[in-house]
Amino acid sequence: MVIVRRKTLSLSEKLYIPEIVRGLSVTFRKMFEKKITRQYPEEPLPKNEVTRGQPRLVVKDDGNIACVSCGMCEAACPAYAITIDGGETDREIEREPKRFDIDMLRCILCGFCEEACPKDAIYMSDELELADYDRKSLVYDMEKLKRPASALRKRMDYVNQINDRWRTSSSI
Amino acid sequence: MDIQALLDSLDWRYLLVSSAKVFVLYHVVIVLGAVMTLAERKVSAWMQYRIGPNRVGPWGVLQPLADGVKFIFKEEVLPDGANPILFRLAPAIAAIPAMMTLAVIPFSGEITEAKEFLGGRTTYLSIADIDIGVLYLLAIGGLSVYGIILGGWVSNSKFSLMGGLRASAQMISYELTLILSILAVVAMAGSLNLREIVSAQHEAGMWFIATQPLAFLLFLVAIFAETNRHPFDFAECESELVGGFHTEYSSMKFALFFLGEYTAMIVMSCLGTALFLGGHHIPFVDNVHWAIGFLAFMAKTSIFLFLFLWVRWTLPRFRFDQLMRLGWKVMLPLALANLIFTGALISLK
Repeated sequence: MVIVRRKTLSLSEKLYIPEIVRGLSVTFRKMFEKKITRQYPEEPLPKNEVTRGQPRLVVKDDGNIACVSCGMCEAACPAYAITIDGGETDREIEREPKRFDIDMLRCILCGFCEEACPKDAIYMSDELELADYDRKSLVYDMEKLKRPASALRKRMDYVNQINDRWRTSSSI
Repeated sequence: MDIQALLDSLDWRYLLVSSAKVFVLYHVVIVLGAVMTLAERKVSAWMQYRIGPNRVGPWGVLQPLADGVKFIFKEEVLPDGANPILFRLAPAIAAIPAMMTLAVIPFSGEITEAKEFLGGRTTYLSIADIDIGVLYLLAIGGLSVYGIILGGWVSNSKFSLMGGLRASAQMISYELTLILSILAVVAMAGSLNLREIVSAQHEAGMWFIATQPLAFLLFLVAIFAETNRHPFDFAECESELVGGFHTEYSSMKFALFFLGEYTAMIVMSCLGTALFLGGHHIPFVDNVHWAIGFLAFMAKTSIFLFLFLWVRWTLPRFRFDQLMRLGWKVMLPLALANLIFTGALISLK
């Protein structure tokens, strides 16, 4: 059993006033200390290649996306945010998505789609802002998801470097 | 006095000057109340390493305006089972006494420019220069508790009722201390007229804060309890009573409660300035122009107002039994002893 003894107060503590003055002096000093508020839209959060924002489709240098609509990301997605309708194409890869939607309201930014993709077509960008006046416009279609490779280069290099670490031990 | 004599004594010039004083002083206080809402948020932010509102207008100065617009556009909610008439009346009853008490505050000395215009009549920068100013202020100020207990009772909510009950018990308990601490000052000055109390301090060359330090301390604690501010905000008690007496209130009715609270804060600060800090007088300076005196008065008042905010973010709320014990067993005997001691000193002199 723990016995908590009541603290015996000194006279100055019993009088309240000196202690109140002490407390007031603390709060007054704190008024002039450095503020820790981040002025968000003007002072954005620090971002780097480890930042896992919303998924985006990489547009290669030839203007196409690498996706072959295999459905791996769709299957990996724990939030069922991705919807893909595949179709044929005359290009060498033979298959491409006719529809590639990500419901950004469902997406939980887990990055499983990025890991699942066998064609390095989808990567997590550093884009985090998500606000609109209706829900429909937050279901992003292919055109809204496309980003040039240059914008995602850092993340692509970072993810590939991590993946390479695993590959060297197993696949070779 | 018959009606004809009353009408004869009314001079249109005097009415004009009086109306102008009412108009200006009330607007000064309403604007000050709005500024206080901003100051409250700014000071609380600074004390918590935050910046505070800074989006509406430069440095957030238009924030009170935005809040006001928001209050007007908010939906009015009438709780089920609430008395519709009293429910709407309560905020007004809470706010009006606070505004009425403003009338006797002596903001500054004589308006010398108006003397010629008025044909030799002297006029002071206070709305009503009456001989029972202190009595009037205490009597009318004590009415605001009706608005709070009424608001708590007619809301038909247990939290509101608790808040209203606590507020009334607290305000009645601390009103005694408030009155007794002021009485000591009144005894020293020998007048109930606030303007004369102010000039008594100037003539004595010493403010009553120096000659009546205990009365000042008791007065300070009592005005915190009277205006329901931290650490005595038992009427609101956000954490226990979900807002207390104004839990069920919304839109402008809610704003009116707050207007009343802030006006009461300002009036009590003005009263403290007049009673203890020498009013509009500046130490060692005689014959100050009334406009400069007004600024000095406001500067002294703002010390009190800042103290309200400062204490709010320093001290936690008392427990209710502690509040009652402090009020009845500590402050009331001290105030009585102070009054008796002061009286004895004055009669011996």
